[in-house]
Amino acid sequence: MNSAASHGPRRVAPALLYGTLTLAALLCAWMLATSALGLVDARVLPSPAGVLARAATLIATPFSGATLAGHALASLHRWIIGVACAIAIGIPVGVLLAWLPPVRAAVAPLFELLRFIPPFAWVPIAVLWFGASTTTQALVVFIAAFPACVINAQLGVSQVDPILPRAAKALGAGSLATLLRVVMPVAAPSAFTGVRIAVSNGWMALVGAELIVGKQGLGFLISQGQNNDSVATIFVGIIAIGVLGALIDVVLQRAQARMLPWTPPVAEGL
Amino acid sequence: MTARASWWRGDLSTRRRLAISCFALAVFVGAWWIVTGPLALASPLFLPSPQEVAGTLVRMSVEPYLGSTLWGHIGASLSVVMSGWLLAGLVGLPLGIAMAWWRRLRWIVFPVFQLLRPVPPLAWIPLAIVWLGLGDAARISVVFIAALVPWLMNSMQAVYSVDALLVHAARTLGASERQILVRVVARTALPTLVAGARIALGNAWTTLIAAELLAASSGLGYIALNAARTLETGVLLVAMGIIGLLGALFSVGMRQAARALAPWSVRSGDE
Repeated sequence: MNSAASHGPRRVAPALLYGTLTLAALLCAWMLATSALGLVDARVLPSPAGVLARAATLIATPFSGATLAGHALASLHRWIIGVACAIAIGIPVGVLLAWLPPVRAAVAPLFELLRFIPPFAWVPIAVLWFGASTTTQALVVFIAAFPACVINAQLGVSQVDPILPRAAKALGAGSLATLLRVVMPVAAPSAFTGVRIAVSNGWMALVGAELIVGKQGLGFLISQGQNNDSVATIFVGIIAIGVLGALIDVVLQRAQARMLPWTPPVAEGL
Repeated sequence: MTARASWWRGDLSTRRRLAISCFALAVFVGAWWIVTGPLALASPLFLPSPQEVAGTLVRMSVEPYLGSTLWGHIGASLSVVMSGWLLAGLVGLPLGIAMAWWRRLRWIVFPVFQLLRPVPPLAWIPLAIVWLGLGDAARISVVFIAALVPWLMNSMQAVYSVDALLVHAARTLGASERQILVRVVARTALPTLVAGARIALGNAWTTLIAAELLAASSGLGYIALNAARTLETGVLLVAMGIIGLLGALFSVGMRQAARALAPWSVRSGDE
């Protein structure tokens, strides 16, 4: 492992080769077990072709009220509402908590108490309060996304070297100018990391919420697949959720690199 | 996620901070009591009063609700979460270490994980139900999936984080292989390992609650869903409170374990 770290470029090719071969082997095993040899009942594990065909059907014709794109849009819609609220409220709250210790002392215990209740545990009570509506789903996304925004914004601000605001003040900057022009840029990468965590937490919570309650969305699509004993539908739903989740993270990574080029590089480890 | 270390860093003395915290909590409970009790702004169906929730808690810990007492349901949830978490550790810990050590194994296994990682563990619940039925097996396997990734990733990271220079230095200074393993490698890797175990347990707990909301015949998530259906909001709040409390206890317990096992770098273990 030690020698591997020193020559990076040479490593990439075999890693890629092995990866491709592994995935190809898995795909082959899957095909062999299902369509070619028929070892496994298609109702237990559909063949890759079966899953593709199911995906095509779901894209073209509505299932449980909407096409695949319709379900995905319904999920994205709720997710954006919840995440946008979490970011809009969470980051200012986090900054405030770091900036004002007494506020932190007052809010922290309550925040810590509520933080450990998993977002899905709010689903039943959210349903009681708001019914099985978009509000319920968005609330669950909000609850899942909010802590990461607060914590990372708070962390970012509290890690700012105290010499920077003092220097700004000495040079004549006011309190607000110091916060906006000196502290925030330094804290921004950490806050953005919080946003990325929030976004993926929110996506995960939404899937859970849709599984439990709802009439549309990708999570609902999966639970309908379960109810209809259609494993292929479940597969299509899982793949759609995974692909969208990965896409969202890639977009945010790009955005971070472009908007906050001073973000310290993260050690990838591989 | 990483804020714990600096969360309490502030300019207030401990006593003043505690006073403010207690006061804030008292205000919260007081506001809750006023809204539900004297003012009766919220119907008990939506938000029962604090004393009603406390009464429900006491009643549930003695009388059976949905088949067993509160303790029985807590036990059911705990046994599933522990089985899944430990199984994931048994697989993830050695596999992660092996993946860090042998790069061919890493090249083979890692792409599969990269492929599966974006899928939330919850999304596997319906599949687990179709394949394994409504019993404990389905829930344990979903908890296993949720806990496996942090176990594996952190044990891999833990081995990576061992600085080769330290190993060489120890060897130059005459340490035996055994000493290097125990005094250098284990010490550097342990905080990351324990952090992985903690994250895994948190994920496992969260996922279990979701799984119990979907398919279970006992457990805290099961109580919560049934209470919502029968409009017993008090029971629902008790279940939520216990879920949160146990989650917090897991986190605190694992932190204490980290402190006991690796007192030299609790902070870096938080990353």
